[in-house]
Amino acid sequence: MSTDPPTPPAVLDVAALTVSYATRRGRVSALREVGFSIQTGETLALVGESGSGKSTVALAVMGLLGPEATTHGGTMLFNGQDLRRLTPGQKQALRGDRISIVFQDPFTSLNPGLPIGLQVAEPLIFHRAMSEAAALDKAVEALAEVGLPHPRELVRAYPHQLSGGMQQRALIATALICDPALVILDEPTTALDVTVEAQILDLLDELRRRRGLSMLFITHNLGLVNRICDTVCVLYAGSVIEYGPTAQVLSAPAHPYTMGLLTSMPRLDPVHRRTRLIPIAGKFPDLTQLPTGCIFHPRCAHAEAACRENAQTMAPVAADHAVRCWKSVAINAAQETMAPLQRAAVPPRVSVQQGELLLELKGLRKIYPLSTRLTRARLGIPGTRASIPWFRLERPEVRAIDGVSLSIGSGETLGLVGESGCGKSTLGRCVVRLLEPSSGSVLFRGRDISRADRKQLRTFRGLAQIVFQNPISSLNPRKTVGAAIDRSLANFSGLAREGALARRTEILEQVGLAGNYADRFPHQLSGGERQRVGIARAIATGPKFIVCDEPVSALDVSVQATVLNLLSDLRDQLGLSYLFISHDLSVVAHIADRIAVMYAGTICEEGPTDAVLAPPYHPYTATLLSAIPSPDPTVARNVRIRPRIDGVAGKVPMRGCVYHHRCPRTLGKMCEETPPPIVQAAPGHWIACHLPLAELEAMPAVLPIRVSDGLQSPAGGHASAAVVHSGTAPE
Amino acid sequence: MAGLEADAVWTPAPPVSRRSRVPATLIWGALIVLVVLALAAAAPWIAPYPYDEMQIMARLKPPSFAHWFGTDDYGRDVLTRTLIGARLSLLMGLGATAFCLAIGVPIGLYTGYRRGRVEEIVMRAMDVLMSFPPILLGLLVLAVTTPSLWKTVLAVGVVYVPAIVRLTRSVTLELAQEEFVLAARARGDGSAYIVLREILPNAWPPIAVEGSLRITFAILLGAALSFLGMGAQPPSSDWGLMISEARAFVDRAPWIALAPGIAMCVTVIGVNLLGDGLREFLDPRMRSGKGS
Amino acid sequence: MGFYVAKRVATIGVILVIISGLIFVITQGLPGSVARMIAGQFATPDVIAAIEQRLHLNDPLFTQYWRWASGILSGDLGQSLIMERPIGPMLREALANSALLATISIVLLTLVGVSLGIVAAIKHNSMLDHGISVFTFLGISVPEFFWGIVLILVFAGYLHWLPSGGAGNLSAGWGAWASHLVLPAATLTFALIAHVSRMTRSSMLETLRSPYVLFARAKGLPERVVLVRHALRNALLPTITVLAIDIGLLIGGVVVVETVFSYPGLGRLLIFAIERHDLPLIQASILVIAAIYCFANLVADLLYAYFNPKIRYGGTRS
Repeated sequence: MSTDPPTPPAVLDVAALTVSYATRRGRVSALREVGFSIQTGETLALVGESGSGKSTVALAVMGLLGPEATTHGGTMLFNGQDLRRLTPGQKQALRGDRISIVFQDPFTSLNPGLPIGLQVAEPLIFHRAMSEAAALDKAVEALAEVGLPHPRELVRAYPHQLSGGMQQRALIATALICDPALVILDEPTTALDVTVEAQILDLLDELRRRRGLSMLFITHNLGLVNRICDTVCVLYAGSVIEYGPTAQVLSAPAHPYTMGLLTSMPRLDPVHRRTRLIPIAGKFPDLTQLPTGCIFHPRCAHAEAACRENAQTMAPVAADHAVRCWKSVAINAAQETMAPLQRAAVPPRVSVQQGELLLELKGLRKIYPLSTRLTRARLGIPGTRASIPWFRLERPEVRAIDGVSLSIGSGETLGLVGESGCGKSTLGRCVVRLLEPSSGSVLFRGRDISRADRKQLRTFRGLAQIVFQNPISSLNPRKTVGAAIDRSLANFSGLAREGALARRTEILEQVGLAGNYADRFPHQLSGGERQRVGIARAIATGPKFIVCDEPVSALDVSVQATVLNLLSDLRDQLGLSYLFISHDLSVVAHIADRIAVMYAGTICEEGPTDAVLAPPYHPYTATLLSAIPSPDPTVARNVRIRPRIDGVAGKVPMRGCVYHHRCPRTLGKMCEETPPPIVQAAPGHWIACHLPLAELEAMPAVLPIRVSDGLQSPAGGHASAAVVHSGTAPE
Repeated sequence: MAGLEADAVWTPAPPVSRRSRVPATLIWGALIVLVVLALAAAAPWIAPYPYDEMQIMARLKPPSFAHWFGTDDYGRDVLTRTLIGARLSLLMGLGATAFCLAIGVPIGLYTGYRRGRVEEIVMRAMDVLMSFPPILLGLLVLAVTTPSLWKTVLAVGVVYVPAIVRLTRSVTLELAQEEFVLAARARGDGSAYIVLREILPNAWPPIAVEGSLRITFAILLGAALSFLGMGAQPPSSDWGLMISEARAFVDRAPWIALAPGIAMCVTVIGVNLLGDGLREFLDPRMRSGKGS
Repeated sequence: MGFYVAKRVATIGVILVIISGLIFVITQGLPGSVARMIAGQFATPDVIAAIEQRLHLNDPLFTQYWRWASGILSGDLGQSLIMERPIGPMLREALANSALLATISIVLLTLVGVSLGIVAAIKHNSMLDHGISVFTFLGISVPEFFWGIVLILVFAGYLHWLPSGGAGNLSAGWGAWASHLVLPAATLTFALIAHVSRMTRSSMLETLRSPYVLFARAKGLPERVVLVRHALRNALLPTITVLAIDIGLLIGGVVVVETVFSYPGLGRLLIFAIERHDLPLIQASILVIAAIYCFANLVADLLYAYFNPKIRYGGTRS
């Protein structure tokens, strides 16, 4: 990249940047010879999984690497000036003024003890020598520009009074307040819900166009790259392995790793929805002992002897498109013919029709009382704005689950999708009776397990299991893998010692782990391996039904694919039923036969996967769908359905439809006061909404059809592809 | 940020041996504590004189070859009395700590795992106990009854029960929410198994650290009570009482006060180092070098 | 916030009632004759009977408690047996002396402890940091009375710079008056400073590693502003909690230090009362000390709430 210098001077031109960290385990090579450049008005994506070194790049450019980091070489030219040669004072003068950054987690990036306004205004005070009052006035404008309501009041608010989305907007306002030449966004939406993420991306897109911003966008999500970036730079274990225009890299990836990232992602579009994922084999390398030759060769399906010996260099494959793989052309040629075959090798699973009823939830509620507090209520006098304050003792409560009825047939997978705090995990735990529901019933094979006696409960425990989200906390750190599985076997299998040992090995092999893993402790396992152990522990009791509570959310995309494939295989081999809980609609749509969409403790839509993903929709389902960025550059998605405000934390309407305050299609008073009716849109497809069915059906389809697949020719070509009705698309 | 990135990488079977990661503070602390314990245990046999033998001719003698730490106003050997005093002071420290752990840990585990009304009542009782300044509870008990060593041990122990209960309870509360505990419940394990086999093994590191620090508090508080005349009773003597008795002669014979003072200082520093080292050693974040 | 304060004050009221009951039960309800304890082992039955008569020890325990508690509520703390004077004025005088000593110590403790902690955090792992660590470590490793004796030995015994004990009189001039407070206050501060400085150091270090401090640096703020405005403010919250705990230890320290320096405060009065078995004086002074401790804790909690906007601005308090 640095070899063919761009014609206009780049805003940022990084070349041969090499950084390492001193750790107790030895020197970790974080970046090696990293190079890229960003032109004025360009957005460059820096893509990689955890450990790829992408955040190190951000810190290096900002001059904020800690004392444990050493920069061994390279240049970072910012408008022609090498950032590495600046004095600390000069760096400080650039930071927050000419180059600014937005970090991943807005909750921790804002100082909890200072008002928002001051935090936004600070760069002006110190870089522009403005008075505090003048800077605060500017801060009000900046907050308004990033779409925050009531900016004048917000200036005096403290971070904990804002929702995550609002906090991230405030951070973006801070980053932009000095009108910088370059903004670095380090995973700016990873900590946010997908609908909020979509709104933040809309904002960034708009700001970028309006201000001609140059951005360095760091992310692990190829969908986001496609949504907002012009150029992509793919990092793997500290090296750039592919670099080129977004459309080219995503549609014709040249490096096997980039290809792997794409094939391991679950997709929403009807063609790829159910096809088997192709994960990247092997494990991320140890950065203290990197493989020789090509750093990717241990995981590469195309590796040969030469790959192990020769270190790779970046070589162009097309104009502006370079790759660090000497076999790239050959692989691509092979891939052209192989890819469709590979995908077709495993036929998409046919949806299970609901057979014998296994589990049924009836009017399930879980209500948490909060501590009583004295609140000041106001008696409004009709017709005037005056009010009389009075005090009352209030018993606030949180309705985590508010009247949920669902059913799961044997062998069926019900996907439960919803954003953080919607109560989906609480529901999962109530179903296996780890939590006691406040009211309603959970029927397993027709028997109410919340009223089950000790013996019945024990039988149920064996038949219904749960797999958890967090690979770190789901295993006891002081017990071996074997001990965790043994306990399940001891409780339910009735096997003697010898038999139990054999069964343990069998189960470990079933989840793809060698028998010798039994002696390992959790801290000796990778995230994916721990998740496999969690699954092994669950199937060891011989269950018929498993609650999968966000089982892949904490994993990198390539590992996620492996675990998803494993779960599908086990389901088919053992005839399991799943309640599959996730915040990620793509993942749910990949594995589930039916989907239930949850919002604020209630189910707003439920039906067969294909029906839920096409109109008629619940407005919330439409919002969710339209928020998910697709990594496919050949589709344009111009249907944007966004919630009205980005949800202030903890404020759920106590009356009417729970979604009415965010719903873009609210009917006003009716939605605010009456709970919505549950309408059957098609057999087995239910929607809880006041809008007439005809209107819901008339909503634009959000999911695109790939033009290249030629399944249905869109009338208006590329741009309007998204408006095509995809509900009847053949699979 | 940077540290996280580096840590996210997994190493197959870390080759680093456990031994090399033992913090120096832990080694030094354990060494000091072991030496002090050994000296105290062996005191009756290694002490050069009987602890209550008075030599009227050798009163207030400065340190010499015959009396390494000098003699006190009764002509008793200060080294001997310091060694013997160690037994009482350590007994108070260890006894009181053992007492507060024995009472506090089970209560903490129970209330943390079972919650409910019992927890509410117990925690309010702990609040009341904590609203006494530590020394007052000891003084109150010892004021009205004849002072004796075991009462001092109990009084000091009771003072520290709320701290142990609170710590154990909060650790238990946190662990009870961990997914591996939920998994144990989901596979039908009973409360006793979960508390003893799943929670306790993970809860004891912070409790051990806290317990080791409580020993120093207990030694100091016990010494203070003895100093005020409400702990060890003459002629037997712990370090606090020794310093108290030495006060009147401090200008003429400072060694009588210095010897037990320095002994206490070394002991407390040793236990503190041990506690700090344990904390560093047992903290999973520091040990496994990765995590969340 | 107002409701929070009211609730806390009400809680303290309840706790004080329980404590007074506890004090009374322990001192007067424990097995063993109170009268014999007061009069000594060799007292004649007449003397015992006289004491029992005088203190109404033959009434039911609750009646005795009721008489005592209602007396306190009406401002009558009873009569000292030894001094044969009303307890109220005695306590008031001693309390004033102790409060002066404790206030000076807590101010010193806060100022010096927090400063040392900040310096140690900013220069962490330097020689200065280790030096501060060793210095403060010495303070908590030995009880107050030992340092008190050492200070007396050095500054009063050898150097003759300061008086070895007692309380000064303002009529002898400010200097003389203040000189009596130097050694006791220094002893108390030294004994507790490690808690404050170590907590400040570790919470400052943690804050300095937090994302919002990184973000403050990323804004290009001068290091001074990053340290003071962004780090220190939040880092002091745990320090306040430690200070609240230290108040309890300080009270214990005051009792001991007053004895060492013969300082006429509440602690020495209490020890005096215990030594002479002056039951009403013991009960009254312990109750007063416990009450002071409760209110000191309340102040610490309010300070914490004041510095923490999450509590100050209510809403999500969980």
